[in-house]
Amino acid sequence: MTEATAQEITITRTYDAPREAVWSAWTEPEQLVQWWGPPGWSTPLETVTMEVRPGGTFRLTSVSGDGTEMPVVGVYREVVEGERLVLDEPAEQAWHEGSVSVVTFTDLGGGRTEVAIQATIHTTDEMRQNAERGMNATLDRLGEHLGS
Amino acid sequence: MAVDQLSTTFAALADPTRRAILERLAEGEATVNELADPFPITLQAVSKHLKVLERAGLITRGRTAQLRPSRLEGDALREASDWLDGYRRFWEGSLDRLGEHLQRMQKGAGRD
Repeated sequence: MTEATAQEITITRTYDAPREAVWSAWTEPEQLVQWWGPPGWSTPLETVTMEVRPGGTFRLTSVSGDGTEMPVVGVYREVVEGERLVLDEPAEQAWHEGSVSVVTFTDLGGGRTEVAIQATIHTTDEMRQNAERGMNATLDRLGEHLGS
Repeated sequence: MAVDQLSTTFAALADPTRRAILERLAEGEATVNELADPFPITLQAVSKHLKVLERAGLITRGRTAQLRPSRLEGDALREASDWLDGYRRFWEGSLDRLGEHLQRMQKGAGRD
């Protein structure tokens, strides 16, 4: 197996909603499909499987306006009621070797809640080399040509 | 971000000869013969590389002329260079929508 390296992304948002409400939005399929995916994407409820317990399945397929499908297949590694969700996405695509997303729910008081997502994406050594060497050099030069 | 398209693009970019072909095409469209010139490989091998690049959406090829000149398509390449950004955009877009959803819920407007 090729050596995998990790990339990390952290995103935080504060909501004017109590923590239980935010937790429900993440753990009830009927609510999750209302917001999952970037604008322009929708997630049909019938594609969703959510077994919100450690080892349970998390599976859904989002569809863009032009019909492109984006499936997500994962496992709940950790579930701490109202506080923390850890989602494991095993390697499915050639370009990543699996990812882990830790979602933390913090009660800020006054009916406000902070949601923090820390995603760690493992990439293959080959992928990293492409990104850091050949690809970057290529992209830089092409960027000049394309005026981007 | 179409993930399947992205994996195809990365697979296409993994090969140094194909990257060199793309760099050549950045200077302008070229025929198979012109593309093969700087490489110690056969025309057939270059054709194979072009097929991979075409499938990945990185180039398009002329339909009319027998020579079928190849041309670079910048969008697929830009998308590939932004792949980690794509991951971030996915979550940021989702979390914005979550905010709107929570607002609707708080207002008691139901689950629509």
